[in-house]
Amino acid sequence: MKTVEIAVIGGGPAGLSAAINAASLGAKVAIIERDDQLGGQLRKQTHMFFGSKEQYASTRGVDIAVMLQEELKKYQDNVDVYTDTTVLGLYEDGVLTIEQSGKYMKLKPERIIVATGASEKFLAFPNNDLPGIYGAGAVQTLMNIYGVKPGNNVLMVGAGNIGLIVSYQLMQAGVNVKAIIDAAPRIGGYLVHASKVRRMGIPILTSHTVKYAYGKDSLEKVTIWQLDEQWKPIPGTEKDFEVDVMCISVGLSPLAELLWQAGCKMVYVPELGGHVPLRDENMETSVKGIYIAGDVAGVEEASSAIVEGRLAGLCAAKSLGYANEDFEKMKQEYLQQLHSLRSGPVGEKIIKGLSKVTVQGGI
Amino acid sequence: MRIEEHPILSFKRGKKIKFYFDGKEYEGFEGDTIASALHAAGVKVLGHSHNHKRPRGFYCAIGNCSSCLMTVDGEPNVRVCIEKLREGMMVETQKGKGVLK
Amino acid sequence: MLEKTGIPTKEDIKSITPSEERRRKGPVAVIECFQKIPCNPCYTSCKFGAIKEFKDINDRPVVDFDKCTGCGVCVVNCPGLAIFIIDETYSDTEALVKIPYEFIPLPEEGSYVTALNREGKPVCRAKVVKVQNAKSQDRTPVVSLAVPKEYSMEVRFFNINDYFSDNTYICRCEELTLGELRELIRMGYRTLDEIKRISRAGMGPCQGRTCRQLIMQELAKTTGQKMEEMPMTTFRPPVKAIKLGALAGGDDNE
Ligand SMILES: Cc1cc2nc3c(=O)[nH]c(=O)nc-3n(C[C@H](O)[C@H](O)[C@H](O)COP(=O)(O)OP(=O)(O)OC[C@H]3O[C@@H](n4cnc5c(N)ncnc54)[C@H](O)[C@@H]3O)c2cc1C
Ligand code: SF4
Ligand code: SF4
Ligand code: FES
Repeated sequence: MKTVEIAVIGGGPAGLSAAINAASLGAKVAIIERDDQLGGQLRKQTHMFFGSKEQYASTRGVDIAVMLQEELKKYQDNVDVYTDTTVLGLYEDGVLTIEQSGKYMKLKPERIIVATGASEKFLAFPNNDLPGIYGAGAVQTLMNIYGVKPGNNVLMVGAGNIGLIVSYQLMQAGVNVKAIIDAAPRIGGYLVHASKVRRMGIPILTSHTVKYAYGKDSLEKVTIWQLDEQWKPIPGTEKDFEVDVMCISVGLSPLAELLWQAGCKMVYVPELGGHVPLRDENMETSVKGIYIAGDVAGVEEASSAIVEGRLAGLCAAKSLGYANEDFEKMKQEYLQQLHSLRSGPVGEKIIKGLSKVTVQGGI
Repeated sequence: MRIEEHPILSFKRGKKIKFYFDGKEYEGFEGDTIASALHAAGVKVLGHSHNHKRPRGFYCAIGNCSSCLMTVDGEPNVRVCIEKLREGMMVETQKGKGVLK
Repeated sequence: MLEKTGIPTKEDIKSITPSEERRRKGPVAVIECFQKIPCNPCYTSCKFGAIKEFKDINDRPVVDFDKCTGCGVCVVNCPGLAIFIIDETYSDTEALVKIPYEFIPLPEEGSYVTALNREGKPVCRAKVVKVQNAKSQDRTPVVSLAVPKEYSMEVRFFNINDYFSDNTYICRCEELTLGELRELIRMGYRTLDEIKRISRAGMGPCQGRTCRQLIMQELAKTTGQKMEEMPMTTFRPPVKAIKLGALAGGDDNE
């Protein structure tokens, strides 16, 4: 069976940052990504990112993906990159089963960093299975990876950051966004994103939800209605939109199957998107040697995913005897960055969620 | 419905690839998945659900949801949203559940 | 309300508007970022120290208008595209509004576009004075629009189509163009009723639904009358709605 010191599962911002940090400290790393390229969500983000310099603020997501890969190349002697490769199983004895283009193999790493990201939630309403109703991530993939328009007229469901940003990206691709609706009484995403699409003339209808979708073979029309303060639909407030695409963007939940399989202690934390593993401040789970970083540890942002990745990479390498005397300094620096990213009102929810799953001083 | 010009991205399309969908000839580009090539050609319905025979398209486009299963070169249950397009591929809508591999 | 609609309120805007005195002095940044979010490139990109120090990355930007030179560097570095430069010294009657614009096609310098407000509703015709798209801007072009001075704090986006050109039909029923309307106003016609009588605008099948507002807007712009104070025409039944043209801004749900 093949072995490696550290296996990083997932090549998004969290996984890339973990691999960079661990490899730069001297550890031998394998980074495994099921897509044919590294970058994760970043590959679909054409907009400039928030945060500060340390997390590449003002740089477009697509370009951050390239920059992180360039950085990884600097340590290529220590890194094996496996793309088009999916981790199918993570067993309690720490063995990974892996599929690469139809071939199966096993890997026994000394440490594992799980950075598999998150998957999209779905929404229940009549005819929600019609072709033309797509997840926001799917629309982004089609548009920004393959250069194909999802349709002509779109109704966006969800006014979180993803809904707002994908609406903007649709307009950039020349697709008309008729409206953005959200069941919540307030816009969940950053208000600067909301103002940006609003001034293009896209109405944002809060306290509205989907009543019905219509179409013979694919989506033709959507009826929405308003919700009252108890989130109950108000009859008589129906509005119709003739659209061929409805884009669902109602949140993400951590892609944690591998952590369940490995026997990590999991906790349901709505603030973090669903079930997430218990961890200590080194990002190590209840199973010794398995670390986490990014959205799988709690749905958040690329900026925090990058820092968590660096932290997990650092701590995993240190546990193998790598990190130099700078360990404490680096660790404190990352913890400080995470703290400051989360210190505002939008981070309150995250901090609350994390307080339920972070165990000080080892589990 | 390809995006020809984009304010941020530039799409480098590979060479043209011919394939067949339910017997009819279609064209996509190298780098396409089956689903992206079909969608670009205006095909949204990729199959029908087995119990209620409802039309099905893709949903997640990254291989998570299995909404996009089709028969490809005789092999059933291929997730066409992540299956790369190859010259001469025979893509068919799937009748029934298909035989599991 | 901003949190429900994405449109900042009048009070929001007032709280970040540079004083009239400052605006008379030259170009200045207007930052419309009203929420504490973990983001600080506006502060770190300003070379003039014109944005108060961020003690915490979640701080909101506060511009020191006396230090701000209106250089525009922060405009292209703001991921929220929430920063605009206004320059009320551009001419006696017009101000420049600089807007980040990440769409294609880019407008041509010298062409006219339709300036929009924060709701995406048309405000006025605007001349494209400059289109900056240097490499350092990294695909965030900045378009400078010349607009009547009173709209410097209104105009925040634009539609590349010149809906307010002389050739635009104001009244589709009676085929009155904006150019003809402007000529009528120049000739001294000053009220809706006068214009209606001479041009028949508003007497067609739509009963003035499309044209009334547009005529009023044009009257307001050229004669300085206030929209809310204008005498209305006499309304006659039947009242039957038709879809508004793009010029009227359309209905939100249309
Ligand atoms: C539309 C949109 C806009 C956003 N805008 C911003 C923004 O402005 N600023 C910001 O900070 N953040 C933003 N984010 C959030 C940010 O993209 C994510 O928080 C971040 O990508 C999380 O990083 P990650 O590495 O944890 O996960 P991902 O980027 O999702 O990467 C996970 C990777 O793991 C791979 N993987 C999963 N399972 C397996 C397996 N079993 N085997 C092998 N590989 C696997 C996946 O293919 C994927 O590449 C945005 C997200 C979206 C969707
Ligand atoms: S316009 Fe220039 S001087 Fe003014 S705040 Fe922005 S970067 Fe600073
Ligand atoms: S860079 Fe833009 S979005 Fe970020 S804090 Fe400054 S003004 Fe707000
Ligand atoms: S669309 Fe979800 S697996 Fe293909």
